[in-house]
Amino acid sequence: MKKPIVVLGLGNPLMADDGIGVDLVSRFAQEAARYPSVDFIDAGTGGMSVLHRIDGRRKAVFIDCAYMGEAPGTIRRFTPDEVRSTKVLAHQSLHEADVLRILALAEQLGQAPQQVVIFGIQPQVVEVRQGLSGVLLDRVEQYLAEIRSELEKGAG
Amino acid sequence: MAKTVNINVHHVTRVEGHGNIVVNATNGKIEKVQWQVPEAPRFFEAMVRGRSYEDIQTIVSRICGICSITHSLASTKAVENALGIQVSEQADKVRILMHYSEQLQSHILHVGYLVAPDLFGLPSVVPLVAKAPDAVMAVIRLHRLANEWSDLIAGRTTHPVTLKPGGLTKFPTEKELRELQQRLKNSVGDLKAVAAAVLSVAGNLPNFTRETEYVSLKQDNPPTYTFYHGDITSTDYDGAVSIHDWQSVANEYVSDQSTAKWTKWHRDSYTVGALARFNNNAPLLSPMAKDVARMFGLTQGCCNPFMNSVAQIVEAVHVVETSIEMIDELLTKGIKPESVKTSPRAGKASGCVEAPRGILFHQYEFDRKGNCVGADICIPTNQNHAAIQKDFEKFVPEILDEGEDAVRLKLEMLVRSYDPCISCSTHMLNVEFVR
Repeated sequence: MKKPIVVLGLGNPLMADDGIGVDLVSRFAQEAARYPSVDFIDAGTGGMSVLHRIDGRRKAVFIDCAYMGEAPGTIRRFTPDEVRSTKVLAHQSLHEADVLRILALAEQLGQAPQQVVIFGIQPQVVEVRQGLSGVLLDRVEQYLAEIRSELEKGAG
Repeated sequence: MAKTVNINVHHVTRVEGHGNIVVNATNGKIEKVQWQVPEAPRFFEAMVRGRSYEDIQTIVSRICGICSITHSLASTKAVENALGIQVSEQADKVRILMHYSEQLQSHILHVGYLVAPDLFGLPSVVPLVAKAPDAVMAVIRLHRLANEWSDLIAGRTTHPVTLKPGGLTKFPTEKELRELQQRLKNSVGDLKAVAAAVLSVAGNLPNFTRETEYVSLKQDNPPTYTFYHGDITSTDYDGAVSIHDWQSVANEYVSDQSTAKWTKWHRDSYTVGALARFNNNAPLLSPMAKDVARMFGLTQGCCNPFMNSVAQIVEAVHVVETSIEMIDELLTKGIKPESVKTSPRAGKASGCVEAPRGILFHQYEFDRKGNCVGADICIPTNQNHAAIQKDFEKFVPEILDEGEDAVRLKLEMLVRSYDPCISCSTHMLNVEFVR
């Protein structure tokens, strides 16, 4: 049974800070009992599958590595209408994906949650290696606290 | 009419590498036609060195978010071959069922979200919702079914968790299998709707042919349209090569227009993927899949790369129909609990499965403690790069007179028809704030 709120961690833990979303969602999964109305999902780099993870939910919270022009390690909470994607897609492959475009499709299909919130975290390093950079690792507690406060507000 | 064309579809984003399309022609004389590939996910080979045989699957499942089950299965089979680990018939069958879920998912996504917009003359799937709502909704429902099917058997859709050397950590219950089977039966209408929608615009698939070699798995015992077991064959080769000798098939080499390794076997390029499997194994398709192939006029020996998307529809039908039968077989025998114990030893071996976009090879070597000391992965996309280049070289002169925009679109469609996996390792956002 789907819960009304879903938290999706996106990214690849084999690509250093790109894995921040997956890392944080795995930490939340360990305290999932505190949030009976929330599903925590490691969505990895599954692209369009996100569409089916958010369908039927009241609220979706994404945690993702994001280039936002901020200092490395900065976390920002935003909604899809507050940003514009500057990502260039080649449309050559299913293997490229952009959550903002997937959300646009969900809207078009009438399957988007009432509320969508994105936590973007500016990376320090994105390269082939396991583990987060020190800059992000040092701020994990801050990230968890900000997202917890979003969930406590939304679980209401 | 002599044409001057300058195309440089250059995607400069460094992290998510894309292929670049370059065509230069002056007054009808072609100076340069290139498919340039800047990146391939081979770096992951270094990442598994020193890791236990039990950890390999978890790592390689992250190589690709679309083909994570396929990478998991290829690596697990390689580990089992290297360490002499046997798998029960039940586990083998459930794994194939898991693999089919990914074939359906990837094929439906590719045809519905990437190829259909081209055929309907639209830039993406978003405007297609308004133009062909019933077909898009059928695609979405099939994609959802494939996702939930993967969740049930693999533990989750992206990056499976139930696979382990020797078997699976968890089997679906008989009740869950019966429910899945019913949903698969119910999906036939949606499959037919997608096939009919694509057929209605199939005239927009370019009529382009280049004779080439098609490489895939084949399985004789029992004869099967295989994605999982068997040996390597091709349309140029009557026999079969053991998957353990895959390097003698791939013959990887370095091309100066790419950082990815390219491959060739009996010719200067070969092609892998749904059309390759079809060309080698078509008589073994399920009855409904054969009907769909007939509907599109797709016959064995087809050398039009654009028909790969049609072969994907045929295979989507095949995996659904075959899975309905396989679930019957599993239910007849009943699902029995299994516990698997494995122990390390030294060994080196390969594992091979068909990814949705073509044959995939993994090879590992382990020391006596079961720690990985070497890895070699050859992905289907790398095996298709030379074929894309050769297609470009034949196709561009045939369409040059149509002008720059048409040439660009058709070359992009050609690349899309292969659905290359060249940008799957990361998916981060790239945004600017507007409010």
